[in-house]
Amino acid sequence: MEEVVASPREWIDRNESAKTMLARVLTARPLLLLPPLHRVPLRVGNVVELVGTSPSAKTHILIQAAVSCVLPKEWNGVHYGGLDRLVMFIDLDCRFDILRLSKMLKHRINGESNGSLKKIDQEHMDFDLWNNDTKKSPTYDEELYSLCMRRFLFIRCYDSFQFLATLKTLNYRIRKEQELHGISVHILMIDSIGAFHWIDRASTFMPLGATNRKTPSLQTVSETVVQEIRKLLLLHPMLVIATKATIFGDRYSMETKRNLGKLDTSNSRSMSSTSLQLPYREYMPSVWQTFVTHRVLVGASGLEFSL
Amino acid sequence: MAPLKYLEQEYPILDSNFQNFCATHGIFSGPFPPSNFSRIYSPILTPSFTFLGVRFAPILLLFWRCSLFDCSELKDTRRKHMKFRALHKKTEDQEDLLLHDLHVLVAFAEQQSTSERLKQGITQVLSIIDGQHQPWLNGMELLEDAQLNKHVLSTGCEGIDLLLEGGLRMGQLTELVGASSSGKTQVCLLATSNVAKKHMGGVVYLDTGNSFSPQRVIDFIRQNSDPAIDQAKHRILQKVMNRILCHSVFDIFTMFDVLHQLEVNLRSQMQKGDCQVRLLIVDSISSLVTPILGGGGSQGHALMASAGFLLKKLAHEHNLVVLVTNHTVGGEGGISKPALGESWKSIPHVRLRLSHDQGSSIYNVSVFKHPSMVSGKAARFTIYD
Repeated sequence: MEEVVASPREWIDRNESAKTMLARVLTARPLLLLPPLHRVPLRVGNVVELVGTSPSAKTHILIQAAVSCVLPKEWNGVHYGGLDRLVMFIDLDCRFDILRLSKMLKHRINGESNGSLKKIDQEHMDFDLWNNDTKKSPTYDEELYSLCMRRFLFIRCYDSFQFLATLKTLNYRIRKEQELHGISVHILMIDSIGAFHWIDRASTFMPLGATNRKTPSLQTVSETVVQEIRKLLLLHPMLVIATKATIFGDRYSMETKRNLGKLDTSNSRSMSSTSLQLPYREYMPSVWQTFVTHRVLVGASGLEFSL
Repeated sequence: MAPLKYLEQEYPILDSNFQNFCATHGIFSGPFPPSNFSRIYSPILTPSFTFLGVRFAPILLLFWRCSLFDCSELKDTRRKHMKFRALHKKTEDQEDLLLHDLHVLVAFAEQQSTSERLKQGITQVLSIIDGQHQPWLNGMELLEDAQLNKHVLSTGCEGIDLLLEGGLRMGQLTELVGASSSGKTQVCLLATSNVAKKHMGGVVYLDTGNSFSPQRVIDFIRQNSDPAIDQAKHRILQKVMNRILCHSVFDIFTMFDVLHQLEVNLRSQMQKGDCQVRLLIVDSISSLVTPILGGGGSQGHALMASAGFLLKKLAHEHNLVVLVTNHTVGGEGGISKPALGESWKSIPHVRLRLSHDQGSSIYNVSVFKHPSMVSGKAARFTIYD
């Protein structure tokens, strides 16, 4: 009798105050400030969509974010400020160029290490130390470089079925890679979530046989994709960044460029507000649109960089 | 497309009990998807997954269907299209297992009496699914592949080579955009002659407008070589020309057939050491795709996207240079823009714009889009008659 009375009271009693909860959440899921998107406060579990017309820098942003993620915080005394985690990249567009990633990583490593070498030179003014460091630098750069390149995991999918197969087995793959490297996956990148849009839309099937059969169509494929990613985020909290190319041509050519200069980021939930003049037409199904938590419009401004 | 019972031969754990259990949850077919192409219509394909025991059944079925009609006899494109769609509806082309939630299925399986065996069956199916996608690679492996296999082929034209820092890259789809008579076919023929002669690679030329001219290719070959004995030269010339295969394609379905046949040939490695195919040219892809775009349906765009994916797949997996040409249409304000619309923009890796000064043999080429170069960079080159 006493146990029954005690439990409702316990149930009503508060677990923690808002202050302690905020402190807990901020330490368990800290804010990620990735360099190209450092003005957007992101946390794991967020789903970011980068939207832009075809020759805009979406994949470039992904590559820059990947470089920041795979670099360690500190290596051999040089501060890199990276997140020291794995990155998984699903290439649906089949246009990824590994040489760009490699160049950017080398540039970043050399930039940081050169900066620190100059500091040592000024501080110590030791000629021998300088010589030793320059002799050492190619080897320790190489080691760091190959370590970081191995942290970048890549797959390419030529159709939606391969994409679905990848997502279904991703849980097992993430666990395997985490055991192998000893660090967790922090970012899942999907290049061009709308790559198979036309193909899925055209493949509408007549249901044969039993009516409880799911026919692959744009709707069912998108629902399965969202469902799989949602389950994955429960097991392995990660940041999901997806790019999306605008398929339908923008009709507001001059106004587009002016608007993109003003727009920074916008939540997908406020899309219905008429003050936001969207320069493109949304074509992804609503199940994906509601899944996205942050939408970033990317475009060439011509005069200055605007994100 | 194999129903689950075909998988039983290979994996005895997927027995009739498992199949009945799946059937109660709406899963009738196993994970054996055909390519993108046949989801819209089903041509003659070999499934790209290597479970040898079960592979024969689908292949035999498809070959049988092949004999029902002959593509080249059907003149009318629309009739061809409808026939393909009719064929396609007969195949049970549904990826039930990929669309269902397997965790829910496991939960249902636990309620059954034979739950252990059913769960083993589901695990087996998951491992089959794991073999269905491309393998995961890390950055170092990708880099090695790019450095070993994906070399740069020069086009024979110094202006373009300088602009592209060496030439056309293997594994990439390059598009040449230009108004009519801006030199696109000339560049294609020049690249053909250069690859066949200097790089000693095979060339597959898909010609949509009867613009392939063997005489012009011979002119290009003769231009760059030293005058030599006629006899030896004739033999060399024959050897070089033997490496070039030209197909006339006048509609997109024929192009798909030729490309699939090429894929089968490349995969079964029927190449003699000398003429490994290195260059694939489609001149021009816009004349194949433009008639099917529009009309409100999404079939045209889907075929265009499928063509793009197939070309990129061929380029990447078999280390080819793929070159396509596109024409221009009028845009806003009278400025011409490339044809094929917004969806095509994100398909090629590199887009180059060609133009021609009237009356001279000087051509301008500028970069429209490039994975690692700013657009707008331009160069000039000359093609001599």
